[in-house]
Amino acid sequence: MAYVIPAIFLAVFIAAAVKKVKIYDEFSAGIGEAVKFTMNLLPFLAAVFMMCELFEVSTLSDRLTALLSPVFSALGIPSELVKLVLIKPFSGSGSLAYLSKIISENGADSYVARCAAVCYGSSETMFYISAVYFAGLKKKRLAASMAIVAASTLLSTVLACFICKFM
Amino acid sequence: MNAVFTVIFAASLIAVTIVSPESFLPALMDGAKTSVSTALTLFCVYAVWTGLERLAEKSGLERLAARGLKRGAAKLFKTSNEAACGYIAMNLSCNLLGLGGAATPFAVKAMGELEKEDNGFAQKLLFIINSTSVQIVPTTVIALRAGAGSLAAADIFLPSLICTAFSTVFAVGIYLAGVKLWRT
Repeated sequence: MAYVIPAIFLAVFIAAAVKKVKIYDEFSAGIGEAVKFTMNLLPFLAAVFMMCELFEVSTLSDRLTALLSPVFSALGIPSELVKLVLIKPFSGSGSLAYLSKIISENGADSYVARCAAVCYGSSETMFYISAVYFAGLKKKRLAASMAIVAASTLLSTVLACFICKFM
Repeated sequence: MNAVFTVIFAASLIAVTIVSPESFLPALMDGAKTSVSTALTLFCVYAVWTGLERLAEKSGLERLAARGLKRGAAKLFKTSNEAACGYIAMNLSCNLLGLGGAATPFAVKAMGELEKEDNGFAQKLLFIINSTSVQIVPTTVIALRAGAGSLAAADIFLPSLICTAFSTVFAVGIYLAGVKLWRT
């Protein structure tokens, strides 16, 4: 796998050289787009992260975890996973930190850790993605789409906890 | 997002005022600080990939990749915008390969192209596909498990594939069915 990315770069550089593209100028111009993009994004990120931090500090997230634990265990989701499932839609780095905590506390090959790994690997940071993708675009009605994503993520979590019992 | 933000923020604000009002301001500043470090990390990833993407675009590689996937993408996303199809194709390929960081800038560019034709349908579809994850090999997770001393770090490969395929197919199916119902 380690060869894939260098190989892609090499292929693109060769193709660009063949087409007589000004490689340095165009590569830098491309990076310029990253600057613009990051600057557009920063205000939205700041707002979302303030919300997340506040949610955590206010102990609401702990209360919600406690509240939802019975519901989740009825669905066959271990209680250790509740917070991971709740954090994942908001924060990739936050949920990754939580995943590594679950793995180190339960052992990498335990049922809970395997469930957590599958859930993490098969879901995405929905709120973060929605903020990034729709930043600066005309307002869209996203509620229905987000509900669909949330529902299918929850179903796949249930599926993950079920499958991990056998595989 | 406005409603979600307002509800969660207001609820947390009220709760934090009751529990520990002195931690309100530090929490906001911590959040802002995290946003800057995240933006910095994102910039580093994007700088690499948007730079490369510009080269691929100028050397005509992107048009080549797009042509292959154009008919499929055009039909699924209901767009005739060639550039958008190219970005969507790149976004999906990066996602499948597990290059999540590389996938995002392509998605953002695709969103921009789709915005020109006011194609909210395709924008939401792209959002749904990306938010349900379409990764074939969950590299980060496997690395993390191997690091923690797992005996078979990659044995979550098949369960992950099943779950991620299920969630994406399910979500896209519901969305397409919903759009059809809504319009007729």
